[in-house]
Amino acid sequence: MSALSDDFLDSILARAKDAGATAAQALTHRTRYFEIEFDHRSVDLVRSTDNETTTITLFRDGKRGGATLNGRRPEDVEAAIAAAATAAAAGVADPANDIADAPSLPASDHGPAAPDRAAMRGQVDEFLASLPARHPLLRLRDSLYTFTDQETEFANSRGLRQRERRGRHGFRAMFMAKDGALTTSFNAVGASAFSPFASLQEAAGVGRLMAECERSLERRPVAGKFVGEVIVTPHCLMGLMPSIANALAGPALLAGSSPYKDKRGERIASPLFSLDNAPRSEDFSAGADFDEFGVPTRDLPIIEDGVLKDFLIGYFFARKLGMSQTAGARNSRVRGGETSLADMIAGVKRGILFSRFSGGAPNDNLDFSGIAKNSFYIEDGEVRHALNETMVSGNFQQLLQDIHAVSKEVVNFGDCAYPFIAASGVTISSK
Amino acid sequence: MLDRLVARAAQLPAYGELRWHANHSSRIMMRKGVLLANGRSRDGGVSARLYHNGAFGFAAAPADDEATLAAVIAAAKDNAEFAGGAAATGPLSSATGSGTYDYRSERPPLSAEERVDIVRRLDEAIRARYPGLVNVDIALSSHASEKILANSDGAATCSFVPRAALVVSMSVAANDGIVELYDILGGFGEIEDQSFDAETIAPWLEELHEHLRRKAEGGQCEAGDHDVVLDSALAGILAHEAIGHTCEADLVLAGSVAGDNLGRQVASEKITLGDYGGRGPDGKSSFAIHVDDEGTPCRDVAIIENGVLKNFLHDKRTAQMLGAEPAGNARAFSFQDEPLVRMRNTCILPGADKLADMIGAIERGYYLKRSTNGQADATSEFMFGVNCGYEIRDGKLGRAIRDTTISGVAFDMLKSVTHVGDDFRWAAGGGWCGKKQMIAVGMGGPSIKCRVTLGGRG
Repeated sequence: MSALSDDFLDSILARAKDAGATAAQALTHRTRYFEIEFDHRSVDLVRSTDNETTTITLFRDGKRGGATLNGRRPEDVEAAIAAAATAAAAGVADPANDIADAPSLPASDHGPAAPDRAAMRGQVDEFLASLPARHPLLRLRDSLYTFTDQETEFANSRGLRQRERRGRHGFRAMFMAKDGALTTSFNAVGASAFSPFASLQEAAGVGRLMAECERSLERRPVAGKFVGEVIVTPHCLMGLMPSIANALAGPALLAGSSPYKDKRGERIASPLFSLDNAPRSEDFSAGADFDEFGVPTRDLPIIEDGVLKDFLIGYFFARKLGMSQTAGARNSRVRGGETSLADMIAGVKRGILFSRFSGGAPNDNLDFSGIAKNSFYIEDGEVRHALNETMVSGNFQQLLQDIHAVSKEVVNFGDCAYPFIAASGVTISSK
Repeated sequence: MLDRLVARAAQLPAYGELRWHANHSSRIMMRKGVLLANGRSRDGGVSARLYHNGAFGFAAAPADDEATLAAVIAAAKDNAEFAGGAAATGPLSSATGSGTYDYRSERPPLSAEERVDIVRRLDEAIRARYPGLVNVDIALSSHASEKILANSDGAATCSFVPRAALVVSMSVAANDGIVELYDILGGFGEIEDQSFDAETIAPWLEELHEHLRRKAEGGQCEAGDHDVVLDSALAGILAHEAIGHTCEADLVLAGSVAGDNLGRQVASEKITLGDYGGRGPDGKSSFAIHVDDEGTPCRDVAIIENGVLKNFLHDKRTAQMLGAEPAGNARAFSFQDEPLVRMRNTCILPGADKLADMIGAIERGYYLKRSTNGQADATSEFMFGVNCGYEIRDGKLGRAIRDTTISGVAFDMLKSVTHVGDDFRWAAGGGWCGKKQMIAVGMGGPSIKCRVTLGGRG
């Protein structure tokens, strides 16, 4: 069983009981954060912050109320417990409202406890010094090299105790290219990893994206409108997958708005497409050993060879919907395939390399439309030119069915990992 | 607290700010009668930021005692030295703001039970009035930013700026799947300052449901370039995404096309667009700011005047780099965040045209009524989602359209503006903007007739 670092959470639970709670839980995150921010010229900010946030949830006769505070000032703690108690008293009773009964895990420790600030600074300096030679037209802004050390502790009044610590490095680059009056769109990439990045130049595929950015100074739209193929990049998938995951999650099932609500066991995607939820993966520095109810997480397939195996159901929605709990934390991994990116491009008759989606949030039916940013036109197996003012429209349910290739190459972002996927049937249009 | 910060700020070894900052928020969310969120949060602490050789050091901690304050100042100093700025630069603007701006509600606070009751009664009323709905979501939220700030130049100010929003979303089954529509009420002030009871907002709910019904019967819009009328409810996001971001000086320094267009005609002469301090030009925006988080007093900024690009938005550092004066656009979301160049109350000023005349002037196009999310770019290419709109055929409204996205290159699109309405409105509920940190913004404007690109499968 996890030993908590001190009696802070236990004292909260005791006071929650005094405030009339029939059950209670508390979750604390202690975070120490260090950041070097830079543009293409130099470091412009070094930032370090400490914080401790605690979320207190009180249950009273089937009703639930919560309050979150930071720090430990006694008056703030008292106010938070009182606010959670009054919220619980005012709540709506629901049999699904309860604390969890689950095994307490041994305390876990992932990644380094502290950053090597000088080494991180050295990597940033080296990155910036080599940038003009590698990418002379590139301009960076708000780019970050960070280290986050976060300790998470959980306790509930049923005796469940959890504790884990994660120390991870993060890298984010935001960039564009400019040559005289020619300007490209912004692009950005971010990733995290336990260890320092071996090379900032290649972290999370940033080298490829920067090279593509410099090739995007001369852009033009596609001609007219056509239904074509898209090769969706890992970076683009990172923006799109949450919409699909949301459609598979408890809140959408409760709403009755998910197009997948009756599809468990059915084929909802191409046999080439498999999606796992993997919060325990050692590949994911931003994973989680337990969820917000203290329930241990587990890795499991969600879509396997195109078949919907399970939904993403957290503790409350499992009780509410009468389903098994499958997920309390979300870390998506789309499994790599057998086709190289080069072969995928070579196989495209007419379509686009779809690198970033800038569009309205997809609706419940998973229809989408938006601008294809940082993207390229492909014809007869060759990347022809960078795009501007080009829109893509389609439906994610159909797009998953129409996948015909998944790449060997997979980019791990630290909280998710995606390959390139090729699909047909997307409407591509310009003015 | 202000006296302590002022005393400490006067002793800083270089230019710097000290800020005590707490965010207070609450959220009650109900889905189909199930209460999914019911709580409050408070996140506060102190921060210090010091300037050294053109770079900043920043540190923050979640307490406000003397020892913590001394520790964050020392850490910020270490960080500034570690940043090791490239070179000594000229002095930063020393304009100093002052004053107390407390917009706390003067009405008695609602109890937790009264707040939950607002949501519960609305849910019951909606589900009784519209029984065919697949889903009903109701979210009642509030946010208040409370700050005390002092800088080494003598700025000293306190503020408490609240706002509250009610979001209602309804879903219905159409022939081809679920169709959803949401709308937002509220804005400046606390929940106590709003009128969210079911009876008062019944006409608003009726209108929302009618638009949903027609949307479910509607179809996909035709992809491509079209004449459109953007309702005044969309003008704010247009001002914010299409122009505001492109004219933030940190983006200009990074290479935004706005940098090449200062002093040039970038829009129709009918377009005048600004970023305003206080509560905007009419004093009714959903957000208020009088002194920014660098201690600069807020002035209005004319970004586009009669179609000509006039000014950018600055913090102290970008102003120093571009030879301008900051007007109070440096803002931080939480005590842990450093100030960034941000918009405040950004809007297009109203014209004299009538909405009906704009619709009547379009032979084949679209009337776009409500927006969702949006995004900007260094190229001035913008997009925002549209979740409610109608076809225009021969000057009359036709069938509703499903969700779509509109895009354009702002400096081209704004030249296509032929009409600017007399129906100015601030975006309901206020807006949130993401740029390293989230931040509350106000955005508004009138109806506009122009030409944009629509996405869609039609």
